[in-house]
Amino acid sequence: MTLKRISSKDIAKKALEDYHTVHMKALSLNQKRSLKAYLYLLPALILAYVFSYRPFARTVVNSLSLVSFSGKIVEFVGLENFQKLFSDKNFIIGLTNTFKFAILFVPLNLVFCLVAALLVYKKRRFNAFNETLFILPMAVAMSSAALIFKALFNPTIGVINYFFSISIKWFDDPWWAMFTLVILGIWMAVGLDFLLLLGALRSVPKQLIEAAQMEGANALSTFFRVQLPLISPTILFVVITRLRDSMLLSGPVMVLTGGGPQRSTQTLVYQMYLDGFVAGNYSRGSAIGVVVFFLTFLLILLAFRSEKRRVFYQ
Amino acid sequence: MRNRFLKTELLKGIAATLLGLAIIFPIYYAFVASFFTIQDFSLYPPKIFITSLNWQNYIRAFKESLLFRFMLNSLFIGIVGSTLRMGVAILAAFAVAQLDFKGRNFLFFLILGTMMLPPDALIIENYLTISKLGLVDTYLGIMSIYLLAPTQMFMLRQGFKSIPKTYREVASIDGCGDLRFLISVAIPMSRSLILTLWLHSFVTIWNTYLWPLLVTNKPYMRTVQVGITMLGYTESLDYGPIFAAITLLVLPSVIIFLVLRKRIVSGIASGTIVG
Repeated sequence: MTLKRISSKDIAKKALEDYHTVHMKALSLNQKRSLKAYLYLLPALILAYVFSYRPFARTVVNSLSLVSFSGKIVEFVGLENFQKLFSDKNFIIGLTNTFKFAILFVPLNLVFCLVAALLVYKKRRFNAFNETLFILPMAVAMSSAALIFKALFNPTIGVINYFFSISIKWFDDPWWAMFTLVILGIWMAVGLDFLLLLGALRSVPKQLIEAAQMEGANALSTFFRVQLPLISPTILFVVITRLRDSMLLSGPVMVLTGGGPQRSTQTLVYQMYLDGFVAGNYSRGSAIGVVVFFLTFLLILLAFRSEKRRVFYQ
Repeated sequence: MRNRFLKTELLKGIAATLLGLAIIFPIYYAFVASFFTIQDFSLYPPKIFITSLNWQNYIRAFKESLLFRFMLNSLFIGIVGSTLRMGVAILAAFAVAQLDFKGRNFLFFLILGTMMLPPDALIIENYLTISKLGLVDTYLGIMSIYLLAPTQMFMLRQGFKSIPKTYREVASIDGCGDLRFLISVAIPMSRSLILTLWLHSFVTIWNTYLWPLLVTNKPYMRTVQVGITMLGYTESLDYGPIFAAITLLVLPSVIIFLVLRKRIVSGIASGTIVG
């Protein structure tokens, strides 16, 4: 039997080897694990690329190029598409129409929903019933709602003209046609916005309102001095999201007015659909798309900015 | 003083009820008018009550159009689409909430960043993509752009984050892999949130208009929201069948809405359902 001399050097070497194999195993296990984590994210990432980032990038590139009818880029033209766009009367009409809608819809909707919320603000049984009435339009999809309003405003069979004893040809007059779109817009928005504002109003501390009333403030000044400042974050949220929706308005236009009369209700996204999709003019459609992106992005920035300044936080 | 207070409260209540009735009038009218004959529409003063149950409009809506097929299309797209959508969101949210890996936050924000790009402004390019993939007039084509839901992913992440990490460690010692943990622990624990988000997805996909209009050419592939606008009765003021179709669509969702009212209201208050 020969005794093998084991040096301390060998022991150290062996220990190091063992350490390495164990460590490597753990490491590869970890790597496998994090590789799996990427797999979990993969579907979402692919979808984000294919249906958001890639089309966005392509829209921007197309807006700067001449694009053929088959969707292939012919040449880079810089800002020419935008120059053409902004010197085109029809595009300016679409842009103004979109703003017109926003200027009418956003404030009217806000006031309407605020009034509705103030009416049922106190928690009572009959108010719970009224609340349900106010939010019921949420259950109706856009195209159904637009079709119903189309019938209600119809000058021949519609009941609106009868109720108000008027005889307006709603869809033949540019202003009234826009007005029907605004009414439909408010009707579709009332459920959600009313609930948001009601929630905000009810979260205003009761003591503050009581204190104001003790000081002799009437309902009106209590509202403007106490409640309104306290619910301003919600108001801001409603205003910004509705402004954004206004910039993207298209579906109700298609069903209710078809953009008419004489383009008076054609909005940006509807024009983008007509130019880019129906007429196959991808350069122009993409340029309008970029304008829409710019406007909505501006609104998001505005939201962040004004949030810092005016809004009250408890 | 107290008397005056009660009086204003009563007046407010009456005003609110009148306003509420005005708000639901379009829904009421669609229901009532679905029983009108074509002559009823031309009466003056206009009819706003049901005088006889005339089912002719319902029969015509089904016989003269593909309404039933439209409904099946929408139902299929709604169910499959929101299930796939939840699947994608659950996988991603779980990875971000429970697993550690490099670039986690960056990838998460990359997905959330899609919220900055409104889908309505991307429709033309998305249409070109779908047509290149040969998915025009297919269910997958209609569903495609709804499969990613960043807001839902964000909410699911919050839900999964509330599961203590020690749960996963203990499960992992017992030989339970991440996927198994997700399916048998994380998903059941967030059941009610997932159900709410699924329902919300279903409603979103069911109600959508512009995109299905673009990616369907064949009449029998249309969704119901697109289909009812193309029934073609509006020009001849023959609104009966349209109101019958609308009633068939609106009635179930109104009933579901009334049943789930408390859930929806609290969902909006807590920020689960916005947009």
